Amino acid sequence: MTARARAMLLSLLAGLAGLMMATSSAWSQQHIEAQAWDAYKARFLDPRGRIVDDGNGNISHSEGQGYGLLLAYLAGERADFALIWSFTKTELLIRNDGLAAWKWSPASKPHVTDINNATDGDILIAYALALAGREWKRNDYLAAGAAIARAMLDHAILEQSDRSLLLPGAEGFVAPARKDGPVVNLSYWVFEALPVLDSLVPSPQWARIRESGLALVRQAALGPKALPPDWLSLAVQPKPAEGFPPEFGYNALRIPLYLVRAGENDPVVLNRFRRGMAGNNGAAAIIDIETGNIRNNLRDPGYRIVNHILACVIDGTSLPEDVKRFQPTLYYPSTLHLLGLAFVAEKRPECL
Amino acid sequence: MKLSHLALSVALAAAFVGVRDSAIFDRLVDVVKGGTAADEAASFELASLTAPAGKMSRYAAPNFREVVPTPATLPDAITTSATDPVVDESALRYFASRGDTVRLQAEISRLKALYPNWVPPKDPLAVPQNADTALEDMWKLYSEARYAEVRKAIAERQAKEPTWKPPADLMERLNVAEARLRLINASDLKQYEAVVTLGSETPSLLTCSEVDVLWRVAEAFFRTDRAQRATDAYNYILNNCTNTAERLATVQKASAILPAPAIEELLAKGKVLDNGAGEFDSLRDDLARRFIADANTDEKKSVPAAYVERLEKAAETGGLASDALLLGWYHYLHKNMPSAEQWFQRAHDKEDTASASQGLALTLIERKDFLNAEDTMYRWRDAPNEAKAVYLAATANLLAVEPPLPIKVDVLQRIAAEVIKSRDPATAQQFGWYARALGQPQTAIQWFRTALGWKLDDEPSAYGLAVTYQQIGDKAGLAQIQRLWAGRSERIARVGEVETEAERALRLRQERMARPVVAEQPVVQKQQIEPQRRVVAEEPAYIDYRREEPRRTVRVTQEAAPARRNGCKTTVDPRTLNPNTALSRGWCLMDLNRPLEAAEAFEVALLGANAKTREDAAYGQSLAYLRAGLSSKAAISAAKSPMSQERVVELQRAILANKAISAFDDDRPREAILVLDQLKQLGPERTDLMVLKGYSYLKLKRYGDAKKIFEALAATGNTDGLSGLATVNEATRPGKRD
Repeated sequence: MTARARAMLLSLLAGLAGLMMATSSAWSQQHIEAQAWDAYKARFLDPRGRIVDDGNGNISHSEGQGYGLLLAYLAGERADFALIWSFTKTELLIRNDGLAAWKWSPASKPHVTDINNATDGDILIAYALALAGREWKRNDYLAAGAAIARAMLDHAILEQSDRSLLLPGAEGFVAPARKDGPVVNLSYWVFEALPVLDSLVPSPQWARIRESGLALVRQAALGPKALPPDWLSLAVQPKPAEGFPPEFGYNALRIPLYLVRAGENDPVVLNRFRRGMAGNNGAAAIIDIETGNIRNNLRDPGYRIVNHILACVIDGTSLPEDVKRFQPTLYYPSTLHLLGLAFVAEKRPECL
Repeated sequence: MKLSHLALSVALAAAFVGVRDSAIFDRLVDVVKGGTAADEAASFELASLTAPAGKMSRYAAPNFREVVPTPATLPDAITTSATDPVVDESALRYFASRGDTVRLQAEISRLKALYPNWVPPKDPLAVPQNADTALEDMWKLYSEARYAEVRKAIAERQAKEPTWKPPADLMERLNVAEARLRLINASDLKQYEAVVTLGSETPSLLTCSEVDVLWRVAEAFFRTDRAQRATDAYNYILNNCTNTAERLATVQKASAILPAPAIEELLAKGKVLDNGAGEFDSLRDDLARRFIADANTDEKKSVPAAYVERLEKAAETGGLASDALLLGWYHYLHKNMPSAEQWFQRAHDKEDTASASQGLALTLIERKDFLNAEDTMYRWRDAPNEAKAVYLAATANLLAVEPPLPIKVDVLQRIAAEVIKSRDPATAQQFGWYARALGQPQTAIQWFRTALGWKLDDEPSAYGLAVTYQQIGDKAGLAQIQRLWAGRSERIARVGEVETEAERALRLRQERMARPVVAEQPVVQKQQIEPQRRVVAEEPAYIDYRREEPRRTVRVTQEAAPARRNGCKTTVDPRTLNPNTALSRGWCLMDLNRPLEAAEAFEVALLGANAKTREDAAYGQSLAYLRAGLSSKAAISAAKSPMSQERVVELQRAILANKAISAFDDDRPREAILVLDQLKQLGPERTDLMVLKGYSYLKLKRYGDAKKIFEALAATGNTDGLSGLATVNEATRPGKRD
């Protein structure tokens, strides 16, 4: 079997897995080992239930709370889930529109220093609530998740004639607030969440959002490395949005992780990421979109795991030892690391 | 009043027990929708009566009504049978074990309200501790407001003991505590719709023991345009809650946002205290201050008479200058001048502030005591908020009094200095009339010319100039002014005609009527009006203001002129007008001192077929640009149409004079001299510009040239020349060279 044929077969299998995921119950639990979760929470979970972004002034945000909930669910930790959710609900779910305020700072009073939402945080929170509510038969979680999902449909989606865009926030990303709007962040499409949210709040919009996101990932192959930038302007042809570094950066490197976790394994797309973000000596690379040059080589296993998961999905290559083991480093790469390991443990155990 | 508010609220609750109101009951069931909220809701207080069952509308608003507790609303979890409820005493035991008597008493009251047949333990502190230490720990976390950790502890225990269920009481309290936190956070972030929603979802938060939450919900109602609901909430507190400090604070908070009638309604809920005083009397003075201060900035707001009287009393007894000042402005705005003056005077006597002086000066102007108005305002003339305008209104009016008042020399001097500094054409014009009345026609001519220099279309000054030329027999001067004003002022044209007695009487009357323009239209109406955009010219360094005569005469300022006509106050696109109408509009806008709009109107008039219209338009536009300080544009306009030689010369002279002064002010003395030389070609040099030239030479250290000019001026008795000469001598004195 040629590599290409094998990739296509894998893609087909993964697609089936994605379909099953959407129809049956989602991720079954316990794909994060207790030991790994304990190490993660000892480092990043404060006793009052907030996930601390130690790489970013120890603030917390809706994205971190969403990841915390999802990881606690994947680790089967109901008590930690309850803890993180109580904080998230009381401290962030205070907006008029029912979405979560994105930024919380321990040093400020009131703690919420920016009442705007960040739609990936909203998706992650609603998604984790839906999974946990179903698994643990908690109607209060399901109701809260549904309320957020509904608020997203009402406030964070831009309907265009041919597509549905996930806006990064309810305000500020379309014209006239942004001249080059609409501006999107493709790493906010947590593809695996969309069918789950559809089962929570049924709407044809979720499928449209998925299709639009996949189409944009295919289209936004910009620069010599054919990669999408973190922030993408869709005013005319897709191009890097003004005011942001034109780079495939810390945001965008999640895109391939989310794709494979959702079973969206288009080999052309995955190979593009695999080639494009390969840095020196196995590092994950931050890429200057215009020149294709490497701006940064990220050595943290939490970033490198993205490369190795691509290799695993495309070629069946095993993860190296230092990536198989989880050691907490900083909040963001450590979170990606656990999400990556959970995926391999469940869907590609042969790569471990 | 020794009853704690909780005790009283329970007493009230007890009074409701047994009352069955099926409508309220049904809605209450909707609200608590079979959840764990029932027991808390039953502890009296409020419930949302608007929420649909099962699904709380986002914008559902809580109503404020007493809720009748009824055992039927209790969830199964704490009721083993319909007749014999098992009372959950775990919280009681916990608080007792901690010796927390306040919470213990609250819990006893709550349970009594819930279960009328329940008998509290005789010695609650002796109640045995909970045997369940894990539950004990949860209560401990709860009492420390560590709600997320309670959730965690519950989940941990459920994972270990799948059959264990947390006490309904704990769950309900936890839900309420989290809702409170969330509501407070939303309120701090001004998410008022969320506050209202959370309040309506959690009726047990809307109780006297949560007055802070009630305040926040009330404010949220107000901020989401539901003032009546806000009033209801404040009323609810005053009807039901007993804590004295909280009641006072309630009225204070309400009075910060609600309108006067709503606050009246709240104040009426005050009790009579033992000493006979009203519960909220202490607040009424502050309210009176707030109402009156509001009314002073917004004339549409009315203040009940009782509050005015209250503040008057407070001002009399307390003697605060600020109270007197509030009353002064209040009466001034309500055109009650004697009272206004009295209060301004009091405020002024207590503390001489800009505002008090300004108010006092305005009332003095109002009753034509201009001398005192000037004196009051002089030291505050440079204060912000129209102080200068008030001062100049006083000076213009003072000089316009007929017959002329004797004014002390030092007062005249300081007025003259200020008028020159501020380039105020109105007072300059009145100086002209004043000088005429005192028999000093030469001084009058200088002042009228000064006024005209600052305001080229100041017809009364031109008229004053004409009659004064006529008086001293300066036929050339008169003829020139008449040519310049041809077609624009009939009375100027007629100066020098042989008059009949009747005409003379008419003229004298007109002459007089031309004068007190400012007096009839006080420049300033009140203290708080938006400051007009006045261009107060910078003070040139070289001018010595010790004399009465003005020395600089051309600078065109954007002076706020009283409108003579109202024909152009509305905004019209001049391109829609015919040229003749546009011409009239242009002059009208000049009268309103809107030169840039006037220039646009004149632009349209320039399209006219009639040569005379075009000439007038070019002339008008040129004047307009001059007044706006745009000399180069003025020069272009002047060339747009052929015009009479006099007008050409007048405009050229004005443009050049402007250029010379700006060059001097911008520290380009060489250029100033060049321009002044050009100006010289157009006719006799004006003395003020000769002075300018002298000082330009001085700046260039060309002392000889400067000296020549100042000597020539001094020889005619010109005081500028004399002081210029002194400056040259000082600069060239041996041993003192800079």
